[in-house]
Amino acid sequence: MRRLLTDSQASRHEEFKSFVKLNVEPFAEQWDREQEIPRSVISSLAQRGYLGCSLPADYGGQGSDAVTFGLLNEALGRGSSALTGVLTVQSMVSMALLKWGTAEQKRSWLPPLATGKMIGAFGLTEPGAGSDLQSLTTEFTRTSGGESLLLNGHKKWISCAQFADLFLVFGRLERRPAACLVPRNAPGLGVEPICDLMGFRAAGLAQLHFEDVEVPSENLIGKPGFALSHVAPVGLQYGRISTAWSALGLLRGCFEESIAYAAARRIGGGTVGDLGMIRSLIARMGTDLEAGSLLCHNACRAEDDHLPEAFERTLTAKYFTSKAAVRAASDAVQIRGAAGCHGSSPVSRYYRDAKIMEIIEGTTQVHEDILGKMFVARAGGPGK
Amino acid sequence: MSPEQASGIKDTVRAFILGSIAIAKLDDDDDLFGSGIVNSLFAVQLMTFIEKAFGIEVGMDDLDMENFKSLNATAAFVLRKNGHSAA
Repeated sequence: MRRLLTDSQASRHEEFKSFVKLNVEPFAEQWDREQEIPRSVISSLAQRGYLGCSLPADYGGQGSDAVTFGLLNEALGRGSSALTGVLTVQSMVSMALLKWGTAEQKRSWLPPLATGKMIGAFGLTEPGAGSDLQSLTTEFTRTSGGESLLLNGHKKWISCAQFADLFLVFGRLERRPAACLVPRNAPGLGVEPICDLMGFRAAGLAQLHFEDVEVPSENLIGKPGFALSHVAPVGLQYGRISTAWSALGLLRGCFEESIAYAAARRIGGGTVGDLGMIRSLIARMGTDLEAGSLLCHNACRAEDDHLPEAFERTLTAKYFTSKAAVRAASDAVQIRGAAGCHGSSPVSRYYRDAKIMEIIEGTTQVHEDILGKMFVARAGGPGK
Repeated sequence: MSPEQASGIKDTVRAFILGSIAIAKLDDDDDLFGSGIVNSLFAVQLMTFIEKAFGIEVGMDDLDMENFKSLNATAAFVLRKNGHSAA
């Protein structure tokens, strides 16, 4: 990966990896077991400016390019997918607000998000609306004076909602898709933790229940009618970049754990790594790691160059790395045998977390549907 | 706006759409959103292309279907953003 990076990006990657080695890897198992990330850990991300990595310095962010943002997610993904989830949703909320917020909204909300004084969550999925976002039923209605909105409905599977301070909530206003910022302390907002997930167990998922929650109309982000076509996609683009790189970090974890085990574990007169069938698994893992790295860089270079291709390249990267992470985690457990099935080995957690990455920010099947359609369209329409 | 400027913008945007969406032709007044040519997945890609190709930034105040409903509307929007008044 080193040869793809500028000196500055390579230096930041080393910084990120050192942070993860010291502050994340030794504790990730405990967070997973206890299904909770200590607030002090999130504060340490904030203190280093990582939660505002992509936001401009004018708003208190680091103004990093997309590649550097990706490298941060890769390093965190090696240590804890759940912790990376905090950065994922913080960026989804922040970048949607940066693109579509008014000057006043950006002045009010972006600095606390950039510095981590405020943790955001992306309130999109509903019990009856996951991949099919057109089915959203959460509803905003205008109060008689028009100065505020009343919010009613339910959201589900919302990452970081257990501890978030601010929610970007999607619903309908006068039947048009709308997005609105809702503070956690708004009366009528209930947060119901979702526990015992298969993976991402410490990511603080929750259901949100809105019962006549009153929010100022000035909290609307973008204009009604554009929430699903313009506001959500900007957040989801950063969500997919984050998840693609996080899966790449998990894949690197599987690879590093596997080659170390294969080289050290004695069997018969040699090591596990002497066995052809183990080498096959490791060869695929290493090749997927290289290919995933190239796809992630390709996506972020397009994002940094503000190219429309960034959408397709990011979908491709997320699709590939999340699937490759599942394969690699399965093989990493297989290489270790019984030891890989126990919580004392990180690969058992990788195995559970990897599957979640095939689901969040668009399932593998949604990616296949979109990408397949885009690729076929290149052949042109009737008579073309 | 001059007809040449508007025509150049329309041709550029038309080429991008025809290269991305499986349709055979696209006329200047075809309804991009109402006809389904541009769906919610393609809207941000099209916006990003327009921003990049013509050196403008689409902001919250520009979120109006009238600005993007057709090639003619898009050309007029781009020229307005670049400081040209409507003819």
